[in-house]
Amino acid sequence: MKLDINGQVREVDVDPDMPLLWVLRDTLAMTGTKYGCGIAQCGACTVHVDGVATRACATPVGTLDGARITTIEGLGAQGQHPLQKAWIEAQVPQCGFCQSGQIMQAAALLKDNPKPSDADIDAAMAGNLCRCGTYQRIRDAIRRAAGA
Amino acid sequence: MTIAIDRRGLLRASGVLVVAFALPAATARAQATGAPAGPGNLTAFIELRPDGHVVLWSPTVEMGQGTQTAHAMIIADEMGADPARISVEVPHPSDPFRRELPGSRAMGSGGSWGVRYWYEPLRKAAAQAREMLLAAASDRLGVPAGELVADGGKVSHAATGRSLGFGELAAAAAAKPIPREAALRPEAQHRYVGNGIARLDTPAKVDGSARFAMDLKLPGMVYAYAVLSPVFKGDAEGFDATEARKIKGVVDVVKVPGGVAVAADNSWTAMKAAEAVKVSWKAMPIDDLDSAKLGTMMRDGLAAQQAAVAKAEGELNVAFANASKFVTADYEVPYIAHTPMEAWNCTVRLTGDTWEIWAPVQNQDRILQAAARTLGVDATRIRLHSIMPGGGYGRRLGDDGIHAALVAAKALGRPVKLFWKREDEIGQGWYRPAQMARLRASLDARGNMTGFWFRAAGPSMQTEFAPAGVRNNMDGSSVQNMADCRYRWGATRIDYAMRHVPIPCAPWRAVGATQNAFFLECFIDEVAQAAGKDPLALRRELLAHDARALRVVNAAAERFGWDRPLAPGRAKGIAYFESFGALTAHVAEVSIEDKRPRVHRVVCAIDCGKVVMPDGARQQMEGGIVMGLSAAMGEKVSIARGRAVETNFDSYPLMRFDEAPRVEVVLLETPGVAMGGIGEPGLPPISAAVANALFHLTGKRIRKLPILDAMPT
Repeated sequence: MKLDINGQVREVDVDPDMPLLWVLRDTLAMTGTKYGCGIAQCGACTVHVDGVATRACATPVGTLDGARITTIEGLGAQGQHPLQKAWIEAQVPQCGFCQSGQIMQAAALLKDNPKPSDADIDAAMAGNLCRCGTYQRIRDAIRRAAGA
Repeated sequence: MTIAIDRRGLLRASGVLVVAFALPAATARAQATGAPAGPGNLTAFIELRPDGHVVLWSPTVEMGQGTQTAHAMIIADEMGADPARISVEVPHPSDPFRRELPGSRAMGSGGSWGVRYWYEPLRKAAAQAREMLLAAASDRLGVPAGELVADGGKVSHAATGRSLGFGELAAAAAAKPIPREAALRPEAQHRYVGNGIARLDTPAKVDGSARFAMDLKLPGMVYAYAVLSPVFKGDAEGFDATEARKIKGVVDVVKVPGGVAVAADNSWTAMKAAEAVKVSWKAMPIDDLDSAKLGTMMRDGLAAQQAAVAKAEGELNVAFANASKFVTADYEVPYIAHTPMEAWNCTVRLTGDTWEIWAPVQNQDRILQAAARTLGVDATRIRLHSIMPGGGYGRRLGDDGIHAALVAAKALGRPVKLFWKREDEIGQGWYRPAQMARLRASLDARGNMTGFWFRAAGPSMQTEFAPAGVRNNMDGSSVQNMADCRYRWGATRIDYAMRHVPIPCAPWRAVGATQNAFFLECFIDEVAQAAGKDPLALRRELLAHDARALRVVNAAAERFGWDRPLAPGRAKGIAYFESFGALTAHVAEVSIEDKRPRVHRVVCAIDCGKVVMPDGARQQMEGGIVMGLSAAMGEKVSIARGRAVETNFDSYPLMRFDEAPRVEVVLLETPGVAMGGIGEPGLPPISAAVANALFHLTGKRIRKLPILDAMPT
């Protein structure tokens, strides 16, 4: 089947039931998208499907025919998305493992809601776990990228 | 990432300046072999490439704690290097990278040692490198080395305005003898240490390019998922993989330690096929163990006559006999899991007669030795690649995540990445142990403490993780930081009644301090209540003799505004604890919203002696507080039928974004004291600060974690 990933059409020969996460990671070697829980509880695998933040671990690749998929690798050219810059300015990451998913989740939020309130940020980010506890700096980085 | 190059070959070709850390044996060996030396061959190095790039071979892994950036700052200041031109690598374990700690000599990242242990050795190594660069520049420029200054990645001669880049000097400097002693720059001249730089690891962590072990892909590699025994330490008796082998993409199904591994051409196929494997499990002695039985054992320990004594000072019998009043309380904490976001995984390849291992590790020597045992080969035939862990917190101190990968690679005869699911990560154990404690204080007629007895009871972490450290039934982690507590409360007894069950345990970030701070600091609040004292005032009394500790407690209280009234429906709690050489106090502000406790704000004051990387210290306080709070609020692993009940984030709830408090950090320094750690000391006091605050709000004491279990819903 054909997948539209980061603006490129990729041909893959996989079981349509295979979650997008493993197609990205194992078949296409796009490893910025992470496995965290496999049950859509942690958000480490967050990508955009037609602009909507989506858990790749629970999205069978067979449902993505004709969909536009964006991963962390395609978010901003050379990591220059305003959120990526804000993430560095705020020195958000610690271990860093969850941060691709955090940034993808935040990017979907800002696309729909460029000036989110704190409650909006809470609602959007509550599905993304960070074991290092970087939440405060994630909030600061989102505010910074939103120009708040 | 595909790994094809041999780094040793790369290094030999590069003609580099290598400087052993200031450890005599390492220096001697580096000199004897004339360097350059490859990673792991000899020693630790500062490597200077002909293009001026500095490679720091760091003794620590970067698992989020920031030590590699701190190390680069230390090097940059002392060597005169440009931190933007420093990169960090982790070597195969060898002597210069091993920490010499009481009872242990090993390479590893833990115990909040990363900066405090390596600060001086790294300074000395960088000073040696600087001297060698100055000597080489002196030859080239024909001026005395004393007239030269190394700064910003070059050596300059002010009088003539000439300068040479580090890269131009690399070859000549490498030929210079390594000075035995090199003068250290005064700390007042440090530009980066004490101020900080942006973390070196951050850019790769925001664009998806950071490579964790889970991201490795070797040529010809298969993905293996193991069906592991649901009962702790169990193993497969037999298995039927007929159906699994029929699934497209499955390579083979093999027996591994703890269960059965299914190898396939991708992770998902391996996991799906594993569901089709029928495994019969061996009967285990703990097949009927559950949390209720464990609770009975721990309660028995609380009341036991016999216990291992960590401290007995003063006449506790006299103090108790003369008491006007007693305060006694029992507390309990559950098993908790580290659950780093990257689950265990391990990639193994046999090339020639050398086994290569890529894994997220904190404890290289332990893993190296364990791998040698499992493979049945000498450790010299193993190369361990320490890959940046996606979270550690102590979980990578153990070696349990590697055995199945090694055996699978051996059985399959090809490179293997064996990975765990979250359910294995949590369900296989290696927890912070459950524990109970009984605390008892005698008060005189004026409400002053005259005696204090602390009894811990429960499973022993060390018995599982490092049994050699247990002597006479004493596990130091069970009484961690209690015997040396700075409080003066009269006669003291600290003891521990081990009630062990063989559920795997390991150090969990801050180790025994996580539960002991909860026990002690909740209890001090209960004493304050019984004595009719303000919780802050009582702590000030108990620390009146200790200006350093008093300053920490006061700093947290003052920044919080302890004396200012809070909004209606809000309450505050304080806790103080010392661990890993650092003194920490937290004040937490709470309310109840929708019947759930909510922590709005935490003020943290910490004195770790000297602060090398202020923003890194703030990161560790912020993150440590969230992790400690997460554990206190909702985390527990219950035991039923010898296995873990909660094994993924739907039942093992980590603190989420919308639940996290605002954290403010006050960094304090005390000149002239031993440096303390930063990675762990932020956690211990938070559970008690919040439990105390909730008491002041609701009038109900929380003596058992997690807190959410005690709250009506």
